[in-house]
Amino acid sequence: MNDSMSIISLFFHAGLIVQLIMLILLAASVLSWVLIFQRAFALKRDARDLDEFESHFWSGVDLNELYREVPTDNPQGAAHIFRSGFREFNRLLPKSRSHNAVLEGVERSMRVSVSREEERLTTHLAILAIISSSAVYVGLFGTVWGILGTFQALGGAQQVSLGTIAPAIAEALVATAMGLFAAIPANIGYNRLTHKADKLMVRMENFAEEFHAFLHRNLQNRSTGENT
Amino acid sequence: MARHDRRVGYTLPTVLAVLLHVGVIGLTVFRWPQSDPVETSNAVVQAELISMETATDQAQQATEAQPRAQQGPEREQPEPEATQDDAAEETARQQAEAAEQAAQAAQQAAQRRAEQASEVAAQQQQEQQAREKAEAEQKAEAAAKQKAAAEAKQKADAEAKQKAAAEAKQKADAEAKQKAVAEAKQKADAEAKQKAVAEAKQKADAEAKQKADAEAKQKAVAEAKQKADAEAKKKADAEAKKKADAEAKKKADADAKKKAEAEAAAKKKAAAEAAAKKKAEADRKRAAEAAAAASQNAFGDEITNEAESIANARQAQEASNGFMNLVRRAVEQSWSRPPNAASGLVTVVRVQLLPTGELLSASVSSSSGDPGFDRSAVQAVERAAPFTEMSQLPAEARQKFRSFNLRFNPEDVR
Repeated sequence: MNDSMSIISLFFHAGLIVQLIMLILLAASVLSWVLIFQRAFALKRDARDLDEFESHFWSGVDLNELYREVPTDNPQGAAHIFRSGFREFNRLLPKSRSHNAVLEGVERSMRVSVSREEERLTTHLAILAIISSSAVYVGLFGTVWGILGTFQALGGAQQVSLGTIAPAIAEALVATAMGLFAAIPANIGYNRLTHKADKLMVRMENFAEEFHAFLHRNLQNRSTGENT
Repeated sequence: MARHDRRVGYTLPTVLAVLLHVGVIGLTVFRWPQSDPVETSNAVVQAELISMETATDQAQQATEAQPRAQQGPEREQPEPEATQDDAAEETARQQAEAAEQAAQAAQQAAQRRAEQASEVAAQQQQEQQAREKAEAEQKAEAAAKQKAAAEAKQKADAEAKQKAAAEAKQKADAEAKQKAVAEAKQKADAEAKQKAVAEAKQKADAEAKQKADAEAKQKAVAEAKQKADAEAKKKADAEAKKKADAEAKKKADADAKKKAEAEAAAKKKAAAEAAAKKKAEADRKRAAEAAAAASQNAFGDEITNEAESIANARQAQEASNGFMNLVRRAVEQSWSRPPNAASGLVTVVRVQLLPTGELLSASVSSSSGDPGFDRSAVQAVERAAPFTEMSQLPAEARQKFRSFNLRFNPEDVR
């Protein structure tokens, strides 16, 4: 590997289309890494928040107090689920006679908030999926295009030796290398982040079910208290 | 619960991603202080040039000159300009033509034989391309001329009484003078030179005619034959020969002059005739000098051309070195050494190329003793064969690479 075969010089020697493709792939790589970092930080923070909220929730704190502590504007994670469910519970409880109607309303409200949380957690992961699956093909296209040009040029050449073909082929192959460079981290990141988000979703759904069960038990206690 | 900002911004991830990419690119650009692979001299195949072209050129010249020298006597039209390559052949042809003119003037069987002898001698001269000294030839010619001159004087003394012969000679001289004056003005230097030679020969012929009855004829023939043989044997390269010719011509002129003076003294004829004769001689002398100068110029041209070609060759040295390396590498790459070959084998393959770079022949010029090894070397050359880069070389360098030696020495292979 001498200077003439370094990645940078190969990039500058490549054709216009191949250079364009390589620039696109570089941008895709940067974007995928931005998303990987951002999502990783966000998911880590969400998991920590969920841990904090769950421990706080099960510490025996008064639910009304907890509801007041939760920020009213755009809460996130388990707090969002708790807030929407508890608000719906408080709203429906005085109006409805049937406990089942109250629980149904609470469940529906919490389901909506869970799906909102899922949407929030998996934001931009689709972009990572797209990059991971298509960057390879884009790079391959650049390579094919470069080799195409090489063979066109070779058609006019008098004598063909390895020395004349090799640099052009290397230039073309840089595009594939860059496609892989962009696609591999995006693919790994996408899988790992999706897994993390799924785990968080499962935990949130579990929390929603537990909260639902808690409210149900609360209503049962109230009704038995009223009946007796 | 700490209510810090819940949102994760994009600035930090962006900065991190850009830093990562810059780092990766930096890694590709940065050259770690790795241990470079030791430069092993892989000069398995060494090439050495052998200068073949001089020998081949000379052979070509000889084969070219031979038919032309044979055509020489039949050709009436002399070529006005003598290129340096054909100078030797030119002079030979001029001699042949001079001999022919002599034959026309004398029209005797003896002269014809002498002419044929000189013709044969001219052919032999070109065929031989000998390496003997020009001085030897000059001496031989000088001796011959002196002998001829002495004979001519003796004959002139003896023939002074022979009126008829003298008359004939006067006529011949007058004719020669008129012809010389007329033609020297009309024709070029080369022709004048030829004429001078021709007239010298005419005089010799006239002498021979005077003593035709006696043994003089045979003597002349023998003399001419001796001279021709001496020339044939002692012909040096083209330049020396030209010089020698010029001197010979001068001597011939000098002989003619001496003879003419002797004749004039013996006969004491009319002064007008003598003056005319002297004039003719002066013309002849001038013509001879001009011819000598022309041949000298041709010689100088040759020298300058040679110097130019040497300079060009030096200029093309770099390109040719590159070509040599290329050939060597190509041959190395296509060389598959026999695995069971003993170490220390060296074979030299003689490669001859066409100007297009195609392989003309590859033969083992110095065998290693292992026929399989030799064959592998020849096969390597044949496999690498079309060296089309040769067509990009300048013409001089291309000429140089027509033939070279490749030396196969696998000693350096690890």
